[in-house]
Amino acid sequence: MANIIINGKGYQVEDGITILEACNRLGIDIPTLCHDERLEPYAACRLCVVEIKGKGKLETSCSTKVRDGMEIETHSERVIRARKEILDLLFSNHPNDCLTCEKSGECKLQDYCYEYGIVEGTYIGEKKNYPLDESNPFYTFDPNKCILCGKCVRVCSELQGTNAIGLKDRGFDTKVSTPFDMGLATSKCVSCGNCVAVCPVGALMPKKRERYRAWEVRRVKTTCSYCGVGCQMYLLVKGDKVVGVEPAKGRPNNGLLCVKGRFGYNFINHPDRLKTPLIKRNGKFEEATWEEAYDLIVSKINEIKGKYGPDAFAGLTSARCTNEENYLFQKMFRALIGTNNVDHCARL
Amino acid sequence: MANVTITIDSKKVTVPSGTFIIEAAKEVGIEIPALCYDPNLEVVGACRLCLVEVEGSRKLQTACSTKVWDGMVVHTRSERVVKARKEILQLLLDNHPNDCLTCQKAGECLLQKYAYEYDVKFREHDGDRRPALVDTSSPYILKDDSKCILCGKCVRTCAQVADRQVLTFANRGFNTRIVADIDLSLEESSCVSCNRCVTVCPVGALLDKRLMGKGRPWEFEIKEVKCKVCEYGCDFEVLSRNGKNVAVRAKAPSNGRPLCLKGRLTTEFIYLDEPYTPYKKENGEFKETTWKEALGLDNIIEKLLDKEEISTGVEYNG
Repeated sequence: MANIIINGKGYQVEDGITILEACNRLGIDIPTLCHDERLEPYAACRLCVVEIKGKGKLETSCSTKVRDGMEIETHSERVIRARKEILDLLFSNHPNDCLTCEKSGECKLQDYCYEYGIVEGTYIGEKKNYPLDESNPFYTFDPNKCILCGKCVRVCSELQGTNAIGLKDRGFDTKVSTPFDMGLATSKCVSCGNCVAVCPVGALMPKKRERYRAWEVRRVKTTCSYCGVGCQMYLLVKGDKVVGVEPAKGRPNNGLLCVKGRFGYNFINHPDRLKTPLIKRNGKFEEATWEEAYDLIVSKINEIKGKYGPDAFAGLTSARCTNEENYLFQKMFRALIGTNNVDHCARL
Repeated sequence: MANVTITIDSKKVTVPSGTFIIEAAKEVGIEIPALCYDPNLEVVGACRLCLVEVEGSRKLQTACSTKVWDGMVVHTRSERVVKARKEILQLLLDNHPNDCLTCQKAGECLLQKYAYEYDVKFREHDGDRRPALVDTSSPYILKDDSKCILCGKCVRTCAQVADRQVLTFANRGFNTRIVADIDLSLEESSCVSCNRCVTVCPVGALLDKRLMGKGRPWEFEIKEVKCKVCEYGCDFEVLSRNGKNVAVRAKAPSNGRPLCLKGRLTTEFIYLDEPYTPYKKENGEFKETTWKEALGLDNIIEKLLDKEEISTGVEYNG
């Protein structure tokens, strides 16, 4: 354990953790744009700087480990001045369009500008002016809003393992890019959207089918229905319509999703979606109640079983069902119908 | 009153004759954008955003001030209407500061809402802009003329209480401004800080100063409470952020309810975890005061302490 002093108050924290981790655990809020506890420390945004007694320079708390006897100031005048300067520089090279920006309301740059009182970018000079990359069908990349925190690049490489994007060029010209700057459509991108989920600003945004502001939606936590992994995610609901999906932290997916879970939600509101069982009557499918459907299944099973025996049946179940549902399915086939002809699409 | 049937965006609706189009549209779930319209206030047709196309009329009509007639056919989102609305919003934005980044109203601002809906953005221009006259004299209300869109809602709500009538229009044309009394600061004026004007302002021109910096509108959890000071029972909202009650704000007053500073301060004192200093206006000057004095409880507290000999061991220092 290390004994440290933060803002004049003594604490005992675990050895080997960073100052930022220690502060997070103690409920001391330190701003950061590039930090993600799932990724290696990167210290790109410099917003998490703190003052450490005995050190000449301010240190980034996300990449500095605690030492016994450390005296730290997280909100001293000098620290706040540095953070204001960083935000001013970032916003000076950022489009001023919170009026209609889709990220407005959940943008970290906006949050910190409000908190630190940065009402405008005071540096007048060149601004980034790149074309938008809209080649991916699920999301848009606007390099002009990018603050180069590198989270997208690191998530793609460290967690997703796709390595579709990287940082290109140096200095003012640095840009998140695909190989040879040929655009997302030709890259290795698998459209998982994990870069979109970590982007702190409006640079990576899902292509919306419904227009909504961040503050107009409710978040409803649910389990992804696509496969047996059971990823946790939030459905973004506006009124009574699902308008988007965001990954949830924690088990099993810890903030990651795949293309299906992340972007494949349109079936929910689709007019063709089946909402009741259909029974074919006179060569036409008609809507029926579950009672009618179950009665029909039972009578047909009994009829066929009586005529041809239980081995006339085969059951194939789905990976979209839970383990419990699949267990019950095979139980029904073995115990109720009396056949071992039961299989599963994910067995291969 | 006889009923009339009209068609709005091919939906038929029957309403009493004399109803305004904007209200008839609401009956069938059609929202017509408006900045200056408020069912509790006199109709003025100032913002022009509620323009709709009425078949047979050459010009676009304001839905807030045009009454329905039998057989009327209205189009609320035709190409012509949308074009006019975009133009109005663009003109309003041309004379509005681009600071949604940190504006306290962002998230609840109607100008922002409609700009997003109609996809209108700020543009560069070298024309004049409204001067940034910010009145910071009141500890309760921040008045920023540069953000004002001259909808006049504040003037109308202020005038509804006979002994107030503080806010009014001054000057003409581009120089039109909302002023208090004879262009006095809110501190010097007869303003009683009831915040009626703040509750109706569609933009960030009139803000509750005690809310500034407490958080963004989308971060608050909002609980509605009734004022306990008098029989009117005005509505207030207690705003909490990260589990802490940080601010109280007035809700728009309904008919016959005046709203007052005392009610708001009392509600603050009851609900806020850390109520901040109250101020009292004396001879045209805001002065820091104690809660005892602000809530008019001096005599009561003294009498209570005297009569019941309440002794908590903690000195009450207001």
